[in-house]
Order: sequence, then C-alpha cells, then structure tokens
Amino acid sequence: MLPYLLLYCLHRFNGERSLAAVYHLLSGKKSAQTLQDSKWFQLEHVFGVCKTISLLELEQTAQELLMQKWIVSIDERSYMLTEAGRRELEQWLPSARFFAHLNGSFYHAVDTLFWYRLSLAVQTLSNLVHRYKFAPIHRHEATLAWVKKYFLSQTKPAHDLAQALYQELHALCSSLPEEEATIFTLRLTSFERIGWTNEQIALFFRKDPLYIQLMFQHLLHYMMKRIERESHLFPVLHEFVKDLVKPVSLTLSAQKTYEWLQKGKTIAEIARIRKLKRNTIEDHIVEIAANVREFSIEPFVAEETRRMIMKEATRLGTRQLKKIRDAVGHHVSYFEIRLVLAKAGELRAS
Amino acid sequence: MHLEQLLEKTFGYRTFRLGQKEIIEDVLGKYDVLAMLPTGGGKSICYQLPGYVLGGNVLIVSPLVSLMEDQVQQLRMRGEKRVIALNSFLPDEMKKAALANLRYFRFIYASPEILQSPLWLQALKKAAIALFVVDEAHCISQWGPDFRPDFLKLGMIRAQLGHPPCLALTATATPEVMNDVIETLQLTNVRKHIYPVDRQNIAIQVECVASADEKLERLLYYAKTLQGPGIIYVSSRQWAETLARKLQAEGMEGVAYYHGGMDPEQRMLVQQQFLCDQLQIVCCTNAFGMGVNKENVRYVLHFHLPGQMEAYVQEIGRAGRDGKNSLAILLYTHGDEDMVQSLIEAELPTEEQIRLFVEHGSSALRSMLGISDVQWRLLQYLFEKEASAHTAEEIVANLREAIDRRRKWKRKKLEQMRLFLFRPSCRREQIVSYFHQSLTNKPENCCDRCTFSLESYRLKRHDEPAWTFCGWEEELKRIFRNEEYTWIKGNKSNR
Ligand SMILES: [Zn+2]
Repeated sequence: MLPYLLLYCLHRFNGERSLAAVYHLLSGKKSAQTLQDSKWFQLEHVFGVCKTISLLELEQTAQELLMQKWIVSIDERSYMLTEAGRRELEQWLPSARFFAHLNGSFYHAVDTLFWYRLSLAVQTLSNLVHRYKFAPIHRHEATLAWVKKYFLSQTKPAHDLAQALYQELHALCSSLPEEEATIFTLRLTSFERIGWTNEQIALFFRKDPLYIQLMFQHLLHYMMKRIERESHLFPVLHEFVKDLVKPVSLTLSAQKTYEWLQKGKTIAEIARIRKLKRNTIEDHIVEIAANVREFSIEPFVAEETRRMIMKEATRLGTRQLKKIRDAVGHHVSYFEIRLVLAKAGELRAS
Repeated sequence: MHLEQLLEKTFGYRTFRLGQKEIIEDVLGKYDVLAMLPTGGGKSICYQLPGYVLGGNVLIVSPLVSLMEDQVQQLRMRGEKRVIALNSFLPDEMKKAALANLRYFRFIYASPEILQSPLWLQALKKAAIALFVVDEAHCISQWGPDFRPDFLKLGMIRAQLGHPPCLALTATATPEVMNDVIETLQLTNVRKHIYPVDRQNIAIQVECVASADEKLERLLYYAKTLQGPGIIYVSSRQWAETLARKLQAEGMEGVAYYHGGMDPEQRMLVQQQFLCDQLQIVCCTNAFGMGVNKENVRYVLHFHLPGQMEAYVQEIGRAGRDGKNSLAILLYTHGDEDMVQSLIEAELPTEEQIRLFVEHGSSALRSMLGISDVQWRLLQYLFEKEASAHTAEEIVANLREAIDRRRKWKRKKLEQMRLFLFRPSCRREQIVSYFHQSLTNKPENCCDRCTFSLESYRLKRHDEPAWTFCGWEEELKRIFRNEEYTWIKGNKSNR
C-alpha cells in the first residue's frame, strides 16, 4: 500500500521534488514550502494523512520501487515513474477509494479532535443507555473537558440524545458503501466493547493497515463535510464540528451554483436551470474556487493547461490576465486563467 | 472515624492489604516513610487514603505520563473530582485555572520534569502541600534503570515546598538503591516499611533453548496452550509487531501488540481491550504495564532477556494480582545477552558525541548528533556536574569516565541476570537474595529448579466471545439502544 501511495506522490511531483518533500507532505509539516508544494502539485488531499510515517520508511519503500523498476532516479533524491510504474499506478488508482473525500490540507489538524469528541460522546451515551460504568477511551484532557461541558449543557435526557445521535450516524453510514460503514462502526467504543484498532480492522478485511487508516480519514472528512454543509440535517453532530471548521463564506447565488455543481450539472445546464448568463455562472465558479478548499478545478481546466498558466504567472510575476493569456496562447480562455489564479490565491490567503 | 471505615467508605475495600495500614499510620504521624511493597500490592492507597485525612494537598511525583493519567482516571472513576495531572499536554485553559487555584486539588500528580518549571513551582508553593509522594522511587537512584536526572533534584524541590513529610514508594529496590533514595530526598526521621518482594502465587520458569528458531517454537507452544490472559515482553518495537503477526498468522485470535511508537489512540485501544478481556495476549515492550491494573493476568512471558533483575521482577509482578496461581516464563537462547549488550551501548553517548557536545554544547546540535533522549539527559546531567573551571579536554575525559562507569555498572547488572539463568539454585531464593531478603516459605509451585508442573496452568476454558459482529446496522443499534429500556418506555406509553 505504501509503495503505491509513494508512487502516486512521485508521479504528481514529476521529478521536481525530493523524497524529503514527500515525507514533509505525508507527515503534514506546516511549512510554507510544503503547503505550496501540495497546492502546486495537486497533492493537498494527502497533506498530513500519515503523521507517524518516518523518512526511513519512505527511503526503504523507494528502494523497493527502484528494484521493481517502477521508478528511476533522476538525481540524488528525486525520482520519475517508468512506463511500468505508470501502468501500476493506473491499475491501482480505482482501488484507492479513499481519494474520494480525503482532504488532508483542510482537515488534518481537526479530524482527530472531531473523532475524539465523537467517539467519547458515543462511548458515554452508550454506557449511559445501558447503565454501565466505564473508563473514557481517551486521555486527551481538552476532549474530556469538551465532552463534559457538552453533556452538562444538554437539556434532553440521555436516551433521547442517544436516539438522535443514532439517527444521524445511521443516515451518514447509510450513504456510504458497506465496507466504509463497517470500518466506522468497528472503530467506535461502546458499552461492553472497546473499539478496534486500524490494524485489527485490517486483519478483519484482509487489507493493509495503511489502507484502513486512509479509509478512516476519508470517512471522517466526508462526515465533517456533510455535517457542516447540511447542518440542519445533523444538529447533534454539528455541535461536534462547528468550532473546528471555519465556515465557508459564499454569496447566496454562488452557493446555489455550487449545490448544482455537486449534483453533477454542467455550466450550460446550470445557466439554463437558473436562467442566468453563462458568464455569471463562471463568476460563481471562480468565487467557489477561491473560497472552498476542497473544490477541484480539474473538470474545468486541463492539468496541462493549469501547469502552463502557473508557470507563466510565476515567470512573469504577474496576475494580469491579459499578459498571462498572451504568454500561454489564445487557445486558453480567461475563465481558465481566472480559475487557476483563484485557486492558487486561496492558498496564499489561508 | 477508624481507618478501616474510611477505607470502606472511600475505596470500597473491607480490609487493608499487607503493610498498608502501618504505612498509612506513619504517614499520618508526619514521619518520612520509605515503603517497599510487592508489585501490585496496592501502593496508591498508601497516599490516597491520607489525602482524605490530612488537611492539605497531596503532591505525587510520578515518572511516567501514562501512569499518571491512569491513576487520575482511576480516582475520577471513584468519584474524586479534585484531582489533576500536571504535564505539558494540559490544555491552556485548564493550565490557567490550575495555576490560579492549585490549592483546590486534593491530589496533584506531577512529572519531575514539570517541577523544574518556575511557574508550577510557584503555584505549588502557594498551595499547602501536606504530603510529598514519590512513586516508583527507585527511579531516583542514579543507578535506576532509566536515567532521569530531574528525579535527583526532588530533594531540593521538597525543601523549597517547606519540607512536607515525604512518602517514597517502590516495588523493587536493593538496599543500595534505598539508601540513595533516602539521601536524595533528604529523608529524616525515616520509617522504613520493607515487605517481601516475593510473590508466592507466581511460579517461575526459565527455559534455555538451543536456537532462536526453537525459542519461537516454544513461544507459539506456550501462547497456544497456556491459560490467558498473558503478556509477552520483547526488547524492541519491531519484535512486538513481528511476534503479534506471527501469532495471528497461526490463527490465534485476541492478539495485539503495544509499544511506545504507536499513535496514542491506538495504544489506548489495545490497553483497554486487554483490560476488558477482549484480548488474550499483548506482545509489548516495557512501555506496557505500569499503571495497567489488570487483576487476572495469568502469565508473563519474556521472549528476550531483561537487562536487570529489577526490571524482570517488576514485569513478572504484573501476573496474578488477584492472588491466583500465575506463571512467569523466561525464554533464553545463547547470544541473547549480546542483544541486551548492544541496547546498553545504544543508550550511552559515543566518544564522538561526547566531544561534539562538550565543544559546541548547544541544544541546536541535538538533532545533528543523532542523540536519543536517554543519551541527551545523561550528557546534560554529567555536563552540569562538571565545574566550568576545567578545560574542554578535562571535561571530555571526565564525561568519558562517568559514562564508562555507567557502562560497567550496566554490564554488571546484565551479568547478574545471566547468573540467575545458570545458577542451579531455586529461582525464588535467588530473587529475594538479590534484594537482600530471605525466603520464609516456598510455595508448592515454586520454580523450574524446584519441581512443579505446568499442568495446572494449561488452557482450560475457551470463552465464547461476548460479542460478534453482525453488520454495521446491528452494531449501531446495539451501541445506542437498550431494548429493555425501549420496551419499558413503549409499554408505559401504551397505557
Ligand atoms: Zn524454587
């Protein structure tokens, strides 16, 4: 599993960064360079998703990849994929389902806190409902304090709160594939059962522990996103995340466009449905790109074009659309340039 | 109120265990007390009960954050709210509140390192420390298994807090270490309570095998045939994982590993699973065990040779806390001591590291030197002790000499461990005489030198798993719904 993840990162880095950059990326080093790299090479989603990884592990894995001839060394510590490596990566990608919602750069600092709160609250409620005494599953003082305060502020009886939380978790799990709902539930600690470790779940599914670890983070990210977006549907869970994630600020109209985009509509379709000009919808999309971290501009700008725009923008040291367009060629639209810059600027602002 | 009444009211026990009452009486009499109770002998009662009698705060200095957290948790479970653990993980908000009003807390746990902080020391001075407790006091000795220089400064700190009465607790200390403890903590008027290190209900077996492969075979055999729960100690993180995976590959269920390199949540899950009998076997490094209050551990198996008798006795002492018959097995094969030897070397700073340290001496150098925590603490401590008047050359020479002394001492400890393996006399007698005690009584199941049969330790029952997985929907229901309750509620609303 790690070999493929490394292959994936090396592919995106395209020989322009060393193994140390992969290490900083996966372990979530908060430096401007790493953040910029993750943006530039479109690796934000894996930022900080393997916090306990060591450089040594990566070096050993790189050695394995070299032996397999999936990568070649192009200078001392950077690598490029071989044709075979590219084929392997391509074959592996469909099985890497965690890429669907994994969003490291956005959630890496808060997903653990969310999980600590949620799992401790579940353990508490479950034991209350079944009238059991228990030792809290976390020793994290801030979480213990938060959960205590949370329960003290509740006016509902424990049983009602338990049923409400049950309904919300049931709704979230129902929207997930069987395997993912299972991973989530097995991790929970409750009365009479301590939650399983990633390793134990991996054994259960006969999968790599790292796969389970990434799946679990992807799950948490998915849940946090939905809870935040649809807070009216998840009033109990929203309490757990609301102070952890900064709300996204979009104009009302852009928010509407965003919702249509998420339903899979194209620009033309949205313009027709909303009876608005195409230009207006494009403005919305630029606004979304500038404000919503996890929003991908990939469907609107080809990767090749994006790289070219960034390269020229950096080379010219300008954000003037016309100059950039003259440099990249007129087959590239203003909309594409604005999108790329908006996405890059969102990084700078954060 | 009698002590017994207080014991029952506060802790729910009817009677004191061996030595507890005598120790508590001396603590309440404001004597300095040094107590050595066998592992698992209920040391914490000795200061927790006085906490409800003495008018003032009890400060407990404890070597391990996880140990502190476990004890805080256990007190809270008992309904005690006025308890806090001071450590660097304390959230800001709580830190502020605690600093402002430390006096509020009946029990204050602290690491020796945090007591070096002027901020906390100031706050402690403002509180009214009525009892100064040092848990695992053998760490104080500079000849303790881990080098913790901040422990050596505890005497000074105690003086700064106005010399409150002191209770030093340990399970394993030789007379030499005890004298060290008394001196360092500046105990005066000291009352010693020394109880036998021997644990009669633990049978001791040492097994020398011909090869590493055979050792693994024996391990698999024992893991499959002994009545659990059991703890398997190994010397490295890598080995903990390897053994756990081997046992799993053999089709064994309820096996996990535990070591200090794991993510805290995963570590906690394993510990709690073991406590709740969800696991039968934990393969672990010595990071596991302290603070894990599990009564029914049936065996402790050492897959690698411990570096010294103190550690060995501590570790086997985790078996049989419920007083029932339990087993300690040590597997040895020729060459195991070399591994310990290289671990010892790895802990000591090298010649080059000493030189660089003395010449540059800044902490910025630390990552460059590739120095471990233990090496760093040792160097810093030794360096501080050297007078600044010396030349760099002299300091290097002195450091080298001090480190060499430590190396020799550790080798001696290892040699004693080796002697324990090969000496033909009773294991139990050897252990007690190491601690300068004598054996008054030999249990029926004593050790492999005397005779005893493994028969009674064999796997008897195969417990049905208390829980089986029936899909996530069923599991979510199980977590949140109490059918009994739902039924009652439903009936009521029907009326
Ligand atoms: Zn014997």
